[in-house]
This record gives sequence, C-alpha cells and structure tokens, in this order.
Amino acid sequence: MAVIEVDNVSKHYPMRRGPRALLGRGGISDWFRRRRHGVFAALENISFTVEPGESVGIIGANGSGKSTLLKILAGITEPTRGHTTVKGRVASLVELGAGFHPMLTGRENIYLNAGILGMRHAEVDKVFDDIVAFSGISDFLDNPVDTYSSGMYVRLGFSVAVHVNPDIFLVDEVLSVGDEAFQRKCRERIGQLKESGKTIVFVSHDLNIVNTLCERVLLLSQGRLIVRNTPQETVDFYLRQVGGKEGVHIFSRGAMEAVMSHGRLHLYCNGIELTAPTGMHCLLKSMGQQQTATSAAWEVTEAGPDRCVARGRMPRLPVTVWWTLELEDDALVWKVEAECERSVPLEDIQAHVHLRTAYTHWLYGDLEGAFPELDPGDVTWVNVVAPEMSCRDAAAFPEDGSGLQALHIAGTTSQHHLRLAWSNTDYITGCRALVADVPFPESQRPLAKGRHELLTLRIRVTRDPEALREEARQRQTVHSGDLAARFTNGVIQLYWKDEPLTTLLHAYTSILAGNLWNDSHNLQWDAAEKNGEGVLSVTGTSRRFPFQQHWRFAPMDDRTGVKVSIKLEILEPVVFQEYHTSVVLRREYTGWETDHESGVFPEFRPDQQHWVHANRNYTPGRWISALSPEFPCVTLKRSDGVYPSRMTAVNTGYRDQARVLQSLSVPEHTRMAFEPGIYSYFEGVILVTS
Amino acid sequence: MTTCSTAPLSGAFWRDALRDLIRARELLRDLVWKDLRARYRYTAIGFVWAVLEPLLMTLILTFVFSIVFQYRPGAEALSPDTPFAVFLLCGLIFWNFFRGSVSDGTKSLVANRELVGKVSFPLEVIPYASIGMGLVNFCIGFVIFLGIHVAFGGGLGGVTVLIAPLFLIQLSIVAGLTLILSCINVFFRDIQLITDVLLTFGFYASPIFYDVNLVRAIAEDSPQLEWIVQVYMLNPMACLITAYRDVLLNQQWPQWQHVAWPAFLGAALFVAGLAVFRRHSGRMADHL
Repeated sequence: MAVIEVDNVSKHYPMRRGPRALLGRGGISDWFRRRRHGVFAALENISFTVEPGESVGIIGANGSGKSTLLKILAGITEPTRGHTTVKGRVASLVELGAGFHPMLTGRENIYLNAGILGMRHAEVDKVFDDIVAFSGISDFLDNPVDTYSSGMYVRLGFSVAVHVNPDIFLVDEVLSVGDEAFQRKCRERIGQLKESGKTIVFVSHDLNIVNTLCERVLLLSQGRLIVRNTPQETVDFYLRQVGGKEGVHIFSRGAMEAVMSHGRLHLYCNGIELTAPTGMHCLLKSMGQQQTATSAAWEVTEAGPDRCVARGRMPRLPVTVWWTLELEDDALVWKVEAECERSVPLEDIQAHVHLRTAYTHWLYGDLEGAFPELDPGDVTWVNVVAPEMSCRDAAAFPEDGSGLQALHIAGTTSQHHLRLAWSNTDYITGCRALVADVPFPESQRPLAKGRHELLTLRIRVTRDPEALREEARQRQTVHSGDLAARFTNGVIQLYWKDEPLTTLLHAYTSILAGNLWNDSHNLQWDAAEKNGEGVLSVTGTSRRFPFQQHWRFAPMDDRTGVKVSIKLEILEPVVFQEYHTSVVLRREYTGWETDHESGVFPEFRPDQQHWVHANRNYTPGRWISALSPEFPCVTLKRSDGVYPSRMTAVNTGYRDQARVLQSLSVPEHTRMAFEPGIYSYFEGVILVTS
Repeated sequence: MTTCSTAPLSGAFWRDALRDLIRARELLRDLVWKDLRARYRYTAIGFVWAVLEPLLMTLILTFVFSIVFQYRPGAEALSPDTPFAVFLLCGLIFWNFFRGSVSDGTKSLVANRELVGKVSFPLEVIPYASIGMGLVNFCIGFVIFLGIHVAFGGGLGGVTVLIAPLFLIQLSIVAGLTLILSCINVFFRDIQLITDVLLTFGFYASPIFYDVNLVRAIAEDSPQLEWIVQVYMLNPMACLITAYRDVLLNQQWPQWQHVAWPAFLGAALFVAGLAVFRRHSGRMADHL
C-alpha cells in the first residue's frame, strides 16, 4: 500500500576530471589507453517505503546524497542499481521556476512551468487565479519575467508548484524563499497540503521544520541510510555524527554526553537527547540589537574527554564569547564569559536551554506548574512564570514513560542580576525554553575591555523528581532543632517535626500606608538565598510604595527558634500609618500570654467576620506567646524596632479560624514619616518551645 | 512520467512513447511557442522576420547563382522551364527545415539542461520542440514558395497532394536523426560540432542550387564513375528534393526509388532514435 517504495537503490556517478582538463569526462584518448575512471557512489543500497499521507524528511550533511535520492524519486534520473516505485502524480519542488523563460510574461510562464510539471492547460485554467493570488504578482502578470525581482520569480515558481495538485510532493530546501511573510505562507500551505492527505518527502537543513512537519526522518550519510526514525531520534543522531570538525566537540562522562556544535550545545543522558533540536545557545544584546552566538565563528580551544572550552567571535560585536563546559557524573556546568576587545555597551546576555516538549512540568523556585500545550497558533513565546518573579533555581519534569530524566538548572553570576524564566517557544521551534537573563542596567554599561564572567548554569539530571521538589523546598528553609521555617512567596511557614504550626498567611509583615495594607506576600520577591550557615536572606520590593524589605532568618544557637531580622529600606520619603509583624497560627492554639497579661483566645462565632483582639492591655511590650495543649509554645519576641510596638493576640474571622500573634507598631502622636535610609523594622526571634 | 526500459519492438514500448507524447502535446506547443516568442520578442518587426528570413536567403542565392555564376538549369534539367528562384526555393525550404531541425535539435538537450536536471517529464519533448520550431518556419517558407511559384506561372495539380506523404518521410528522418544525435550529444558534445560541419557539407551534397541531373551527367560521361551517383543518391535529402521537384514543379509522380529509400531510412531512424533516446533518457540528467 506504500506510495513510494525504494528497493535497494544505488546511484553511481562517473568521476569527472578537474576543471582544468579540457576534456571534462573520459575523452577518446582515455578510451584508447584503456584508462578507467572511478565512480562516485552517491547512494548505496537505500531501501525504504513511504505510506500515503505520510511526511518524511531527509536530512544529512552536504553531499550525503539527499538531492540525488529526491531526483531518483522524481524520476529525473535513474538509479544505477535497484528499483523504485512511485505511485501517483509527483510534483517536485526541487527547483522553483524551472523552465521559466525570462522573455515570456508571467502568464505564459505559468502555463509553461505548470506544463513541465505535468499539468494540462484546462487544469491550469482552474487554478490560475489561485496561483496568481498566492504569488501576489497580479500587477505584473503580463510583464516579461526578466523584469521581475528575484523574490517575485521564486514566489511565482512556488505558487505554480504548490498548485500542481499532485499526490506526492518532493520538496528540496525551497521553504526558505521569499520574505518572512511569504515564508509563513509557504509553511502554511505545506501544512495544508499535509492535512489534506498529500504525501510529502522533503529535504532540509532546517531541523526545526523537519521536526515540526515530519512524522519520520531519514538520515543519509555518505550515500547510506543511517537512521530511519522519529524526527527527534534522527535529529539526535544527526547532531551527534556531524562532529569531528572545527567548532564541534563531543564529550562525555558516565551516562552524560554533550555535543558542542558551533555555539549550540546538545545534552544527552543515556544516549537520549534531553535538549530540543535548537539546543542550548546564548544571545547578546547590544545597542538594541539581539545577536545570537550561533552566528559567531566558533573554535574549540580545549577538547577534553569530559570538558570543552570554546570561543566564538561575534560577527558584529567586538566580543568573543567563551564557553567552558564541564561534565560531572550527573551534571553539565556551562560557564559563559565575554571577552571584550574594547568597552562594549552590552545591555543583556541570555543563555537559552531549549528542552524537548516531553518535559511537561516545571519547577520555579518552589513553585510548580504544567507547561501549556504548544498550539499551532503560537507565533510568539509564552511565558509560563510571572515576569515579576525572580529565581535562580528551576527544574523541569518529563512526562511519564518518556525515558527522560528530570532536570535541575541552577544559575549563578558575578554580575548584579540574574533571572531564570520558563517559557514555551513558538510552535515552529516547538520546545520548552529556560532563559537565564543577565541584564546590565544603564549604570553598569559599557562593559569594560577584558574578559568578564557573565553566568554559569549547572544543569543536573536526576531520576527522582520528588527529590528535586524537596531540594527546592529545602533551599528556602531554615532549620533549628525540630523547627523548620520555610520562606515561600513572601511568607514564612513554620513546621514542628514536619507538622505545620502556621496557617493562612503564616508569618508575615504588613504596612498600612494610604489606608492600604501592604502585605509581604504582595511584594515582589527576589530569589531567596541560603548561605553555608543556614541563614536565609531574601529581599522584597513594594510595587506601590518606595520601600523594600530585607528579611534574614537564622537558626538560633540553642536550637529553640529562629532569629528574625527585618530591615526596612526606604527609597524615597514616605509616610506610613502603622505596620506589624504577625504569626498566624492554627486554631489549636487556645491560650496567649504577653509581658503584661495572659488569657485564652475566644471561641470563633459564625457572625464574626473581622479580626478580633483578645487582649486589653495596649502598653508596648516585648513578647507574646501562644499556648496549645497539643503543640509547642510559639513566642514572638522583639528586641529592636524604630517604634515601640504593642504585642497583641488576635482571632481571625470565622471563615479562616486562626490565631494571630502580632507585633503592631503605631505612632503615638504623629504620623510615621520615613526619610530614605535603612531602618530596623523588626528584630527578634520566633521561639518554639515544648 | 515513467522512464521506459521495455524493448523497442514491443507494443508496450510504443504505447508508452505514444502516451507520453499525447500527454505532453500541450507542453510541446508551449515550448515551441516559447522558442518563437523568445526568438522574435524585442525585435522591431517581430514575426515578419519569419517571412523575411527565407525570402532574403532566396534572394541572395538567386543573385549569386543566376546573376553572378549565370547558372541556369539546362535542357537536361528535371524541370527545364522553371525560373531559378522557384527551382531554388523548392529545394531550399525543405533543406532549411532539415538543417534547422537537426542542428537545433542536436543541441536542444544541452541548451535546456536546467529543465532536464530539475524536473521530470518525457525528455523527447525537447528535441521534438526544436523540430516543431523548424516546422513553423517551414510552413511559412512553403506558403511563400507556393506564392512565388504561382506568381511565376507555375501550376498546381492533383499530384501536389503527394507532398504530404513525402514530407512525412522527411519528418521521420529528421525526428529519428534528432533523437539519436541529441541523445549522444548529451554524452559526447563532439556531436553538435560534427553535425554542423556535416550539415554544411550536406547543403552542397544535395541538389539544392543545382539540378540532380547535373550529377547524373557524371555517370553518363564516364560510366566507371557510376558509383559516385549511387553514393550521392544514398543521401535521403537528394532523393527527397528530387521527388519534391517532380511533384511540385513537373506535377508528376516521383520515381519510386527516390521514395523507397528515404521511407525505409525514415522508419528505421525513427525506431532506432526513439529506442536509443528512451533507453538513455534516465541517465541524461547525470551528464548535463
């Protein structure tokens, strides 16, 4: 039932003499001297079949026999050995506008070209208007073709070719003609043809298109059919075997293997590629123009068995990009540096990691989500994490049964800022992209002459996605004895022996300004950083008022709680009405105690919607504790602050049912006016004692 | 669009060849049209050249032979009373068709190498188109000839109809030769050079500006040179032109030996030409 059957086909060409010999081929003198010229085997023993409606791509290096194979399928040339059967009408888009005669008009050439492609006049008449409309040359239809621009020429050629309406299309690297708009039209048209059940065989160097349009890809190498598999598998193999040249280095360690190929990096684990065909690469932005480092002239300067140093001189910037790649047993470390020949106004550098679509879930900091499905309508990239979030740790999880490993990507930089972000790319590129972005603010430009470390990505694989999630949580957690204080999105969750003590808003801060409460979880938080001593620091910036909060959590030496240090940085003069630091505890806490008094939390009443204070004494104090028969005692204790604060015990509304320990700072007489500077917002401890 | 490898004498071979030709008839017409347009586009007088060319050629030859050389077909001539211009034209248009088609056709595959190497279609169409182009010019020339012939008082009888089968014989010779030569020319470009030289020789070796009886006179003068006449008459164009003149100028049936040999040759050449061409058409793209 196959429409194309290729059975053990070989094609040999006679060797020709060099251009300097007057006789191109074996001349008569050779014949007399019985001198035989060798043959060049363009194809050797190729066999495959194509089913109706299938799209098959043929890839391979230059000179691997792709075009020869297509020519044999098109019937332009006969195989030397073997047999091909092609059922149905064939249109070959091998050469656009083949047989266009420059002196004839566009109209005459449409008939001539379509005739060469096997159409009768009556058939051409039917689609004539479509051809003209598609090519967009209607105004010049009756002008001779030699007055056409080269773009119009190929557009007309393509239009004729796609309207021939054959059963089988043979396409040879012609999808890259015309301007952007026309190329899109071409791809759409090829997509339509595919959907209408045409069989398409096409040769291309554009691995993206092959990946998107083909169900199966054949890889030719030196005239032999090497791989016949899904696009991903074949493209994988192809990228691996194009090695051995300058600018290419393949290195491995254990199960990890990496292919560095002219500014593009592909990562494999157990022989399976984790990266998409577009791989990993980087982009530099200078003076408003983004340039990809794959366009640089790359050279591998150090080719170790498990490491690689390569440099690429950017074509239009006085910058050489240096990559230092090192494989560990389960990770790849990718360091990107820029060597500036003179000071360069670099605005931004991005490192891209493009992963296969089989990665369906992402982890960002400690947030997790699913990538949206890629849709053919996606012409732009789709961010999957909010643009204001900032994080230096990300991970991707593959779908079950894909055989892929989960990936963890951590970024570090010696520059001021680094942000990782997950996106879906456009449909044609078709992959999940992690973009590591190092922007250079105006104040740090231009980048001085010399070599600068820009960023380092550590890409680690693991079979255990749960471990990655746990790690992500641990990175934001301060441990102190049985107590764990976990920072997540502007609040601190407290756990006692893995049992949550806090609920709802957990431990948080809030500032009343302009009659609006600014809760800490509404600030814009940077990535939390945990140092070697287990101290967590994180900075949040208000979107509405000119202030930042610097939080710092450290375990106490006696392991009874965490030290809390919250600094308030005022950027412009601002006035606050009041502010507090609170711990929202679970309802099982029933009693409370302060410097001055003690009591029990009242019962929650159904009609109670607002927060209700339990204590009566509003004299500024130092500490407040909550007591529970089942859970350890939690104490919020302050040692410092600009303003004195009241320690209050509060019940939330009936719906939330939580107990709140609050350290509330209110002005005594005047308003709280702050000049730019750094102030102590809350300095103290959260003690948890049984 | 299948390349055929069946034996040339089998029915399938001819069926395929005929099918390809019928399918490509519109393409053939377009290609001839293309060549015509390309030849005359951007000329000031366009298609008028197609009429002027044979006229001017006749004028020049008439001037050279009848005024400069004072050559006049004598009493021994095939058609003694015909004016020289008519006599000349009656050979010249047929020869021009032969020369033009064979010469252009031989080069045609090489000239259209972009097409041959990039698209798949029955390649015979390309040499056929060269012949078609020659045919168009011939038709114009023939009409001019008839006009001049009648103007000089020549008559046209029922025998004139015989021109059609005679021309068909010439056409098959031309087609066969063109197919063979264009095919070999793909592999050995020497052919297009040799062909042009031989065609120039053929112009003098055919009774175009002289009468065939002039050659026969050699044998009458010295019988031991009889073989020269026999060899001369092996040239099918010599036979055919003689036959054309019998039919057109004398309004009489041609001698059978002037028809039989070209007819045999035409059939043989066409069969051989088509066989050779279709046998090798699958490899042509590799050599262009």
